[in-house]
Parts: sequence; C-alpha cells; structure tokens
Amino acid sequence: MGAAPASRDVTSYGMGLAAPLALFFLFFFVAPLLQLLWLSLHNDTAALHWGLGQYLHFLTDPFSLSVLGSTLLLGAEVTAVCLVLGFPIAWLYQRVGPRLQTIIILIVLLPLLTSVVVRTFAWIVILGRQGIINATLQSLGIIDTPLKLLYTQFGVVIALAQVQMPLMTLPLITALGRIDPNLDDASCSLGAGSWRTFFRIVLPLSLPGVIAGCTLTYAAAITAFITQSLIGGGQMLFMPMYLYQQASTLQNWPFASAISIIFLLAVLAVVSVFTTLGRLSRGYGGA
Amino acid sequence: MIMNRRSLMTTALTLGAMKAFPGLSYAQARPLVFATFTGSWEEAHKAVLVPAFRKANADAAIVLDPMLSVDQIAKVNAAKANPPIDVMLHDPGPALVAIGQDLVEPYPVEKSAYYKDLISEAQEPMGPAPFFQVVGLTYNPEAIKTPPTSWADLWKPEFKGRVGITNLNSTLGTGWLVEIAKMRGGSEANVDPAFKAIEELKPNLAAVAANPGALATLFQQGQIDISPGNFNAIQILKARGVPVEFVAPKEGAIAFKTTIHIVKNSPNRDLAFKLIEASLTPEVQTTLMNPPYLIVPTNSKVTMGGEIARVLAKDTAELKQKFVFQDWKKINEQRSAWIERFNREIKI
Repeated sequence: MGAAPASRDVTSYGMGLAAPLALFFLFFFVAPLLQLLWLSLHNDTAALHWGLGQYLHFLTDPFSLSVLGSTLLLGAEVTAVCLVLGFPIAWLYQRVGPRLQTIIILIVLLPLLTSVVVRTFAWIVILGRQGIINATLQSLGIIDTPLKLLYTQFGVVIALAQVQMPLMTLPLITALGRIDPNLDDASCSLGAGSWRTFFRIVLPLSLPGVIAGCTLTYAAAITAFITQSLIGGGQMLFMPMYLYQQASTLQNWPFASAISIIFLLAVLAVVSVFTTLGRLSRGYGGA
Repeated sequence: MIMNRRSLMTTALTLGAMKAFPGLSYAQARPLVFATFTGSWEEAHKAVLVPAFRKANADAAIVLDPMLSVDQIAKVNAAKANPPIDVMLHDPGPALVAIGQDLVEPYPVEKSAYYKDLISEAQEPMGPAPFFQVVGLTYNPEAIKTPPTSWADLWKPEFKGRVGITNLNSTLGTGWLVEIAKMRGGSEANVDPAFKAIEELKPNLAAVAANPGALATLFQQGQIDISPGNFNAIQILKARGVPVEFVAPKEGAIAFKTTIHIVKNSPNRDLAFKLIEASLTPEVQTTLMNPPYLIVPTNSKVTMGGEIARVLAKDTAELKQKFVFQDWKKINEQRSAWIERFNREIKI
C-alpha cells in the first residue's frame, strides 16, 4: 500500500476543467482582439505603415468624439430608465405569492424569448406615424398631427429600455431576494417610515444587484446595433454604426479597428466605475 | 434501406460533422462556390441559375454561399493563393475594389458565347454584368394621387415631412446623391450641389434610413410616402400587398451593374466560367425577368415583358435611353469624404 495521496490543498481549485473554455477564448477572442489592435496601429488601409494616426484622427476630431459621447450618454439614459422601471417590478416580485411570482418572471423573461429583431420591429409598429401611440393620442383628441417618435433619441431610449429590461430586472430580483425580510420589520418597528426603510435598508443592501444590472444593461444598450439603427435611423450615428460604416462601406479597417479599441476602452472604463461602486457598496452593506 | 436507430445516428452525426467542418466534405475536389447576395438574390439564383448551370454541365457540384460584397472581398483577401470562393457577385463600388486589389481574373471574352450579345454597358472585361439594379422614385399611391415624374418632386412643399432617403452606406444612397448633384449642375466629382439640395430638403424629410431595406418598413408603417427606391425591392413589397408604386424619373432611372467575376487562382476556373455563361444566357435572364423575380436583363436578345416592360423599358434601345449609368471609379475616389460629410451635416 502506498502512502495516502499527499493531502490536497482544499482551498485550491483544479484549473484543468476551465482549460477548454480558456483555449476557446484564447483562439476566438484574445487572438482576434490582438489582431484588431495590430491593425489599428497602422496609418494606411493596406496596413503597411505603423503609426498612431488612426487614434489621433479619432481623438482630435470633434465629430468622432461627439459620436462616442452620444453613445455613452445613450447607454446612461437607457440604464436609468431600466433601473427606475425595473426596481419596482423586482421589489414587487419579493412581496407577492408564488403564483404571481411565476407570472412576473414570465413577463420579465418574455422579451428574451423573442429575437431582438422581432422586438425592434414591434417598436417600429408602436412608434410609427400610424402606430399605436399616435393612433391612441389622436383618437383621444390630445394631438392633431402625429408625433414624431420613430427615428428620435426618445424612441431609441424607450425601445432599448424594453429590449434590455430583463438584464436589469433579473439581477435585481436575486439581490432583493437575499435581503432578510426581518430587516424591514425591524426598521419599521424602530420607528422608520417606509421611505426611510427603503433608502436606508433596502436600497443599500440591493446595491450589488443594482450595479450588476446597470453594468449588463449599459453594455448591452450601447452595443445594440440592430435596435439603434432600426429605431434611430441613418442620421443618428452611434459607435456601432460608425464602426460598421468604416469597416463595411469604406473598407477602412485600420480606422474601424481603432474605433473598436477606443469604444472597448470607453466601455471598460464605465464598467470599472460600476465595479468600483460595487466594491464600495459591499463595504457599506457590511458596515 | 433499413432505418434503425444506429444508422440514423450515424447519418445525423455525419451530417452534423459536415455542417460543422465544411472542409471535410471539400477535402477531395471542392465544388464550385458561388458567393451570391443574401435574400431575394439567393432565392432567385437557387431556383433559376443553379438548375440551369447544372443541367448544362452534367450536374456539376455547386454551393451557394450568400454573403455581402465586403465579406466576399475579405474572405478572398485572407486566402489569395487558395480562395474559398470561385465566383463573386458585386455592386459597382465593391467590384472596383475587388479589381483594384487584384482579386479577380479578366473574363475570357473570346471564349464566351453570350458576352457580345450583352448591351454595351454590361460588357465589362473584368467580369460582365448579368443583371441591372434600377433605382427610381417610389411612392404610396394611396397618399399621392398624381404620380411623381422627377427627382425634383421630392422638394415639393406638399410632401412636407413625407420624404424618406437613405444614408450613403448603400449603393442606392450614394447613387442617388450623385444623381441629385447632376440635376443641380454637379457631377460624380462634385456633389456640393447635392448637399445643398439635401439641406433644402430637410423640411420634407421624415426619415434618413440606415439602409434601403429600412425604407420598406417605413412605407409599410406610413412613416413616409415617397423616396428613392430599388425596383426589385419595391416589387417584393408590392407583392406583399403594401401600397407602393415605382416610377422612373424623367431624368432617367439610376442603373447599377451587378457584375459577376471569376476569382483569381480559383481551382474551378472552367466551371466558374460556365456558371457565368449560364447567367448571361437569354433563357436564364428571361426566367429571372418574370415574376416573382423581376430582375432587369442585360442580354439584348431578351424580349422585355411584364412589369419591366410596363414601368422601365420595352426594349434595349429604350432601356439605354432611360437608364443613367454612373462613373463609380470617380465616385469611389471621394465616397469616404462624402459619407463623413453626410454624417456631420445631415441631422434632422
């Protein structure tokens, strides 16, 4: 009988199981990303001359910067709408019976069960000149001429908010579910009003969920090429369309790569702000 | 053949593997790969061109691999010595890019039986044009009772907030811009007048679509009543019951050559040539001219009929007179600058 196998350090994990996925990512994500970076560091479309020209072109061009700015702003608006509309749903979910819970979950998940394209086309029907909103307002006599909703920033925000809503609601439902309901009662019995309880107890404790939801919604909203171009139209330029235009129509791959890298960094910056907030909130929650 | 669970599994696995690793099935001799466009193009080619080609060439193996022009160029560029595609299909802009990047072979004109029958505009030595795409005015006959006759009608005050255009990403958008420039005294080299004209068009503009396909949706939703539009796309909409009509403006309908090319270093050069020959035959072009395809033929031996004869041209002579061809070499030189300018200036 050999000696008992050297006792394994129970705190370490076998990395072998992660290897297939890691390899997959290495080949199909990291390698193309490096290629993208390599391409973006060239000044000409044939990728023969090295240089930072593409980045300089983007970062010194007020128009390009305004496209980046409006894309990041769009993400913030969509995230805010999702948070304001999604939080009550998640809160409600924790306070109703199991049957209603099933219904709520179904309603929340329903958008995920249809393709983004279908959902976006539905919004074209809703927001159009003869769409549901305009027809209702007109028949109620509130407006005379149809409102312009399609191809506006407002339309894009509303459509994106609906399309991305599950990404916000699901983490919120999980986060709110983890809060001990006794804390609510304790807060109330100690004399705090319901708003005070909400702001001092529920909201801080749900912050990890809020931040996870915001990160997901934000990242999905700013990169949603289909919804942005179908609801926003051709004159509202956001980063994904700008990128597509340079790569596909103009065959200017180095500039398109530089746009992608800059966009990627901008998104990473925003996401890291969210994660930093998340870390701070954990400290707050534990205090 | 006896079907049992095991044989079914084997077949399913094999089919799955062939799907997942197409290289397996091409390991010996690759069938002819024809990169057509997606959507109605693919349908038309699958239903008409491929059967005609196979009939004429002893059932030669052929694969349709539909993708955008840009993707075709990228794929061939990535493996120039052993290209994964044998025959490419291009709009005029990308065609010049492909030729410029040395990705296509000259068409063996002297061997071709049909090349000389093509109308002169379709005779391109680097790859002939088997089809034309035609752009004219599209309108909703329920909202607009007097049919428009000229591009200038888009500026009429009664169409306030009813006009749709597309941005310059598409061939259609760019071609339209050039035509407007010409109408106002500009040319392929000078589109300033067109940008000024679009500035004046702003009160009428209801939408700047991101692509020509989106215009179709806007018609369906009543968001716009008039726009420049592609003849084929309009026929598809019309067939689905959307109230739209197409007219060729009196300045001439814009015609784009869709050209077909043999890829340089193709291992199937002969078959590629034969496929292109098949696309030029009067038989294939006549079938494609009839419903539901309504693709404008380029072979002068084809007798025009149906909707094409009614709306566009009765014969080749009239076609040449009513179509406007643009100089895409000149357009390509400045296109990126125009797109940039359009991005900046056209905000509604």
